[in-house]
Amino acid sequence: MAIQFREVSYHYPSGGVNFYQAITDISLEIAPKDEFICLVGETGSGKSTLAQHMNALIFPTSGAVEIFGSKITSKRNKKIKYNDLRKHVGLVFQFPEYQLFEETVEKDIMFGPLNFKVPHDEAKLLAEKAIRQVGLDETYLKRNPFNLSGGEKKRVSIAGILALDPSILVLDEPTSGLDPAGKKQLMELFAKIHRDTGKTTIVITHDMDLVYEYATRVLVLHEGGLVFDGVPEALFRRDDLQSFSLDYPETIRIMKLVKTEFDLDIDIYKQTVTEAAREIERVMLG
Amino acid sequence: MIEVKDLSFSYTGKRMILKDISLKIEPGEWIALLGHNGSGKSTFAKLLTGLLEPASGSVEIDGIKLEEDAVYEIRKKIGIVFQNPDNQFVGVTVRDDIAFGMENLSVPREKMLEKIHFYAEKVGMAAFLDKEPANLSGGQKQRVAIAGILAMETKIMIFDEATSMLDPYAREELLGYIRQLHEEGITIIMITHDIEEAMLADRFVIFRDGALFADDLKERLLVNPELFRLASLDLPAQIRLANDLQDTGRLKAVKEFLWRSSFGK
Repeated sequence: MAIQFREVSYHYPSGGVNFYQAITDISLEIAPKDEFICLVGETGSGKSTLAQHMNALIFPTSGAVEIFGSKITSKRNKKIKYNDLRKHVGLVFQFPEYQLFEETVEKDIMFGPLNFKVPHDEAKLLAEKAIRQVGLDETYLKRNPFNLSGGEKKRVSIAGILALDPSILVLDEPTSGLDPAGKKQLMELFAKIHRDTGKTTIVITHDMDLVYEYATRVLVLHEGGLVFDGVPEALFRRDDLQSFSLDYPETIRIMKLVKTEFDLDIDIYKQTVTEAAREIERVMLG
Repeated sequence: MIEVKDLSFSYTGKRMILKDISLKIEPGEWIALLGHNGSGKSTFAKLLTGLLEPASGSVEIDGIKLEEDAVYEIRKKIGIVFQNPDNQFVGVTVRDDIAFGMENLSVPREKMLEKIHFYAEKVGMAAFLDKEPANLSGGQKQRVAIAGILAMETKIMIFDEATSMLDPYAREELLGYIRQLHEEGITIIMITHDIEEAMLADRFVIFRDGALFADDLKERLLVNPELFRLASLDLPAQIRLANDLQDTGRLKAVKEFLWRSSFGK
């Protein structure tokens, strides 16, 4: 296993400043390859806290997180090179575009590799590769990041993480602030990187339509606890999603409406509108 | 009443971000302002509230022309809630923060304390008045920001992607407040990327590449998928499903049902 949580809890010292939401007694395993995981849950459920445990940005209060063989507990261990773990697990924060600061896109992408003592020439090559991976061409490398659109800035900041060639990619609400077309493009980009490289990808999102369309596995956090870990369809077959402040995907919601209104024996678990339309036609037209 | 005439805006004097926008908004209307990223929606909102100055054209609110020395008067009439509440916090405590807008309007202290409580209660944040805004979750911050704007009791409210960072529960809650404000006669301008959310509005104003692309009652626009495609917008899933179904036999009834119920939300 690439990442293993064993009874991990995170709480703040009482009276301290609470930058992170608490999580309680979380155990789970994440494979290094081929998983496309969506992490969902209401605001304050601990999603970002959980994500930041995955590359040792924060340490558990109790329990342990094992990241590629290094065991992270509440106590710092001098033998563990925490920075190196961050190379294995690339974390892209929400609104990463706010963290661009260099005068060219190239310098911004090279910043991470140079920080990890990658020679300058090699870092340059990594930047060229990374910019293509996020679907932009090399002319972008010489541009000033501040003159890019919101979607392009997001791509550049993601390229900065990809340039480190992490084994696992963790993205905290990557699509927020984008219009539907931008959202779709970005999710397609993650799906493509996932297909091409097999890298396990973990996306934090509120958007159940995206979960249904892309995830192979979904993790649900509720009030700091892990309340579901399985395939999306199994989640959407449950009738208690409201108690976790979660919505059903639009297609399922609409198919339920149609099923009830026309008393049809249709399979409501269709991922896309087109599949839903064909299902209704199949049953009604025979 | 808002009257916008030939409004244009540019940061550099060269490339126009907004081009010749003209429209009227009557009191009590609920408008969804739609458009792709970079279409100029947020710029428009900032121009309406005097946060940006137009290159040319004019904005008039209740007969007052928006000019430098009228900004104070205009802010009493129009409030704006942004997407990212982190960008709108100034106070040390939640209480200070809700007070901030009112202080700028010179609301008397007694009255202010009363209103702080009333609006904190309304958004469910009364127990947090002494807390630091920095320690709140995203949804809680957004609620505090909304309380601060509500407390100014403006007749026009702009919500600039105010729900986009909220989870479904917090979102429903906020949409509930907006509905309530609409019922109280407040004019609502909702900037959103979420077409399902936009369906709550009566009228759609659609921007495309900085220009006004369409402006009409939503039912007149939704029948035109090509218009939505050109504006890089999605139709609501329910209408897409209706459009995707064959137009025969009993399916006609399903199509009609999908159309009807998509308006009844």
